Amino acid sequence: MNQERLLELVPLAALGALDGEERAAFEAELARSPAVQRELAAYQELVGRLGLATAGPPPRAALRERLLRETKPATPRRAWLAPALAAGLVAALAGLLLVRSQRDAARLQVAALEAEAREAHEAATRAQAEATALREALTSEVAFRELVSHTETRVASLTGLVAAPAARGRIVWHAGRGEAVFVASGLAAAPAGKAYELWIIARAAPVPAGVFQVDAQGRVVFRLPAGLELGGVKTFAVTLEPAAGVPAPTGAMVLAGAVS
Amino acid sequence: MASAQAASLIRRLTRGDHEALGEFYDLYAGLVNGMAIRILRDAAEAEDTVQEVFVQVWQQAARFDPSRGTPEAWLCTMARTRALDRLRKRSSRREEPELDDQGSTPAPRTEEALAVRKALDGLSEDQRRALELAYYEGLTQSEIAERLREPLGTVKTRIRTALTRLRGVLGPSS
Repeated sequence: MNQERLLELVPLAALGALDGEERAAFEAELARSPAVQRELAAYQELVGRLGLATAGPPPRAALRERLLRETKPATPRRAWLAPALAAGLVAALAGLLLVRSQRDAARLQVAALEAEAREAHEAATRAQAEATALREALTSEVAFRELVSHTETRVASLTGLVAAPAARGRIVWHAGRGEAVFVASGLAAAPAGKAYELWIIARAAPVPAGVFQVDAQGRVVFRLPAGLELGGVKTFAVTLEPAAGVPAPTGAMVLAGAVS
Repeated sequence: MASAQAASLIRRLTRGDHEALGEFYDLYAGLVNGMAIRILRDAAEAEDTVQEVFVQVWQQAARFDPSRGTPEAWLCTMARTRALDRLRKRSSRREEPELDDQGSTPAPRTEEALAVRKALDGLSEDQRRALELAYYEGLTQSEIAERLREPLGTVKTRIRTALTRLRGVLGPSS
């Protein structure tokens, strides 16, 4: 459809009177022609203004009341209350009110409160992560105590190497059950993107035995993944590796201990 | 002038000023009601349309773009769209009432309304008839041709000529 033909259809399109293939073709072409879009907008405005000719009497007075009643801004209400883990968050959130009659002011306020809520949410998430970490540590410690109570359980000590001279570690394991728990202290926090990885060295290449991070005090209680082959282990070692862990050691060795 | 007052009311509506809605309604309820009655020919349905249009005004005042036309044109477009939607919904269930005599429409109150009425009066009978079927009954060009038992090309030319002429007489919105 050429531009001239398209422009001819504009008045009909503005009235909504096009139909069939012509309408489909017009609408398809319209998207590509800013000039036709402008012309259409002008005719649509004209079509709107023609309505002035039909001005009639106002409707019954009751309708005005109905309109104002139904659109009346809602009374202020509490928008939401975050399930707060940390004390003090509740106070920050309770102010999150949406008052429609003061929409603009409220929007700014809401934005500020949303930022606070976001921070609160992040704090709560952090607290939750810490709780999870503590729970895991506790589980590991329970496992550790349960493990050391066993007569077949063996223990090996790991000594800090040049990269971490202050580090000390100990690992207890039960080869028959494939269970092991590693504890260490004196380790520096791993740099961003890095983690410590534990290795089991038996006859051949080191076997990865899990990655871990240390707490703020440089300590860790780490339960090794279940099902590891611990029967012929000769040496345990810890290296610094990319946080996701690697299949074979690449980084500096920080702890090592031979099995006596 | 009504449009300047309306523009200021729309700004207040955008800020959520509920009192402005009442004032806006007082200014334009007749305009919207007139359009709805003309299209629906039923006072109760027209009132429902008026209600819908002003609720829409309250919710969407921020969408009004003064660079695209007058508040009156914006309102009339909303009123016409909603009334025609209602008309289409019921046309399958109910016979169309015959068009009333045009004399029943009250006299326009503003200068611009007078100008529109005068411009419409300047159209030929054939042009006005075809235009009204599209405008107030929401018929498409083919439906109008069928209703008037005229060739489609003739109907299209009539409507196009009518609107082009009205645009020439009325000019761009003030």
